[in-house]
Amino acid sequence: MSQLTQIPVRVAGIGILATCIVTAEIDAQSPTTFIVESPTMTTGEMMPRDYSPDGRNMSPPLRWRGLPEGTRQIAVICQDHGAGNPPPWVHWIIYNISGTADGLPTGLPFDSSEPMPRGLEGAVHGNNGWGLPMYRGPAPPGNSLHHYDFAVFALDEELNLPPGLDREELLEAIDGHVIGRGDMVPIYRRQRADSVSTVN
Amino acid sequence: MAEKPREEKGISRRDMLKTAGAAGAAALIPVPLDASTTVGALEKTSTELLAAAPAGPLMNLTAHETEILSAMVDRLIPSDEMGPGALDAGALRYIDRALSEAESDAAEAYRNGLTALDRYSEYSRGKPFTELGDKEQDSVLIDLQTGSATGAGVGFVGSSGAFFNMVKSHTWQGVFGDPQYGGNVNFTGWDLINYPGVRMRVSREEQRRLEEDQLEPVRRSAYDFEQFQAGEED
Repeated sequence: MSQLTQIPVRVAGIGILATCIVTAEIDAQSPTTFIVESPTMTTGEMMPRDYSPDGRNMSPPLRWRGLPEGTRQIAVICQDHGAGNPPPWVHWIIYNISGTADGLPTGLPFDSSEPMPRGLEGAVHGNNGWGLPMYRGPAPPGNSLHHYDFAVFALDEELNLPPGLDREELLEAIDGHVIGRGDMVPIYRRQRADSVSTVN
Repeated sequence: MAEKPREEKGISRRDMLKTAGAAGAAALIPVPLDASTTVGALEKTSTELLAAAPAGPLMNLTAHETEILSAMVDRLIPSDEMGPGALDAGALRYIDRALSEAESDAAEAYRNGLTALDRYSEYSRGKPFTELGDKEQDSVLIDLQTGSATGAGVGFVGSSGAFFNMVKSHTWQGVFGDPQYGGNVNFTGWDLINYPGVRMRVSREEQRRLEEDQLEPVRRSAYDFEQFQAGEED
């Protein structure tokens, strides 16, 4: 197993993120940074409520580009570095995503008996902070504002890991295989039902 | 007291329950007879008589609360290809009865929780809980389970997770507990998990058949045995 190194993740130049130091446990040798984006949210801005329990609590769409050459599989973790004991609190883990995929559609099934959408065959959910193999969106306490790091890892091998890994197990399993990483860090505060940031 | 005969092959328990269509009706399903059926086998145990009680309105919940709880219980253990669900097993009536007896302290928590569940459903999904589809109901219940159903004005007393766990626990009791307490109608829950049943003793031969999955299950309440007489004065 290679030596793990804590390195700061390069994210878009949003001032508010200066208070949110995101660290990555990836191989220090040659991690490439690539772009992670979404048609409905972006770093430093409020997530639509439909991706939270204030709305339909469906998984958000993600897109990535600029993957390093040799990417065979992709893993995604959504984590809140401002919650959890110890942090981060994990909202979503999905992996075994084909290296040819360019993103994830919205509303992935939370029932493991349901098939993944076309192009994502073989992708499986890991266990989030609640121990559930599915996406569960942000619900920060009170009126607090939290950052949600959607971390995407490019892997150099088709690891085909078993479903249900938690964050630590996944990071251990992909250690030494991470050849790139991209992050998108939107924010969220609990919203009322009549808020405008609903995805149609 | 005789054991209830098992159903004939070819007529699954689930098919019969599907035909019955409702928890109350499920209690009235006749036992199929065959040439080996004895007069003793037709004798009703106290459990069967309890299960056959007519299904009236619930005692502790309003009609609206009953609808919400019914929908919730139905999603916790749905009737599907695995077999009958919690409603078929009479979990709803078990809970209602428990709220009059051992769980009477929980009646207020049910009223508050069911109101909050419906309010949260309206708040987050735009519809009352009973009007959501199965998947959306599941999604809402997961929000409850994870303690996330805390949007403005929803009003769960304490954590939504606590309410979820209370209803889940009572539903489990109503499906898998002893039928004496009003649930597990026609031993639906025990059949679901292939529970061998209550026995006062197990012979070596029965142990062998159990290990080979050949043991005929006993379908009697513990209180149908003389050793367990509930609530009787000395």
